Amino acid sequence: MENDMGLIVKTMARATIPLIGIFGAYVISHGHLTPGGGFQGGATVAGAGILFLVVFGLNEAKKRYDKNLYSALEGLGGLAFLGAAMLGLSIAFFYNILWRDKIAFAGQPGTLLSAGYLPIMNLAVGLKVFTGLVSAMMAIALFRRWKK
Amino acid sequence: MNRTFGALALLFILGVLLIVANPQYGLKFGLGGSDWQKYRYTDQYYIEHGIEEVGGTNIVTDIVFDYRGYDTLGEATVLFTAIAGAVALLRPWRRDEDGE
Repeated sequence: MENDMGLIVKTMARATIPLIGIFGAYVISHGHLTPGGGFQGGATVAGAGILFLVVFGLNEAKKRYDKNLYSALEGLGGLAFLGAAMLGLSIAFFYNILWRDKIAFAGQPGTLLSAGYLPIMNLAVGLKVFTGLVSAMMAIALFRRWKK
Repeated sequence: MNRTFGALALLFILGVLLIVANPQYGLKFGLGGSDWQKYRYTDQYYIEHGIEEVGGTNIVTDIVFDYRGYDTLGEATVLFTAIAGAVALLRPWRRDEDGE
């Protein structure tokens, strides 16, 4: 209750947090076309989460943060990354078989549905980085040991 | 007095760096000129073949996720380990609650 910020900061955060999230999602989903990618977009979306934590306080963030869901999503992101890398295991690890054999995501270079496993990997890494950074920030905020 | 001295020292260091890092007559790191093209041909290879081999127009993503995929895999592992270690170290211990 006492660790949240004032009305002006809260109003500005309500306006900017969705925009930051949309921008991060754009950076992740266009990672194979424009500068950026999974790591950068995931860190941007995690920045929106950290802004929420700073502005609305720890108690409000604790209600919306589910530890089991976030750790499960982080594991899912890592496994999806490994799975996408193993798709072309018949030839080599990290072989981009979706693009070279034109199976899926094989449009013209420069369109959204192109580049084989690159969009899948960007989504997986973005999910992993977002959940990981939010988990680390919540751990640092929850488990501080100094006295009042 | 101390602040002026600090600012002057910073300016001096900046000037020395500018002279040392000048490509005309400063220190040379690694190869230069045509040797660069001869021994570091992979840079040009990625720029020329990245779009047809991997498909992304962002060459950096092509390199990070395809040509150098193992590096990204290790990076994801490092992130996972760091967060697991942070949560394991920062969580409250039984000894802390006994002491209070």
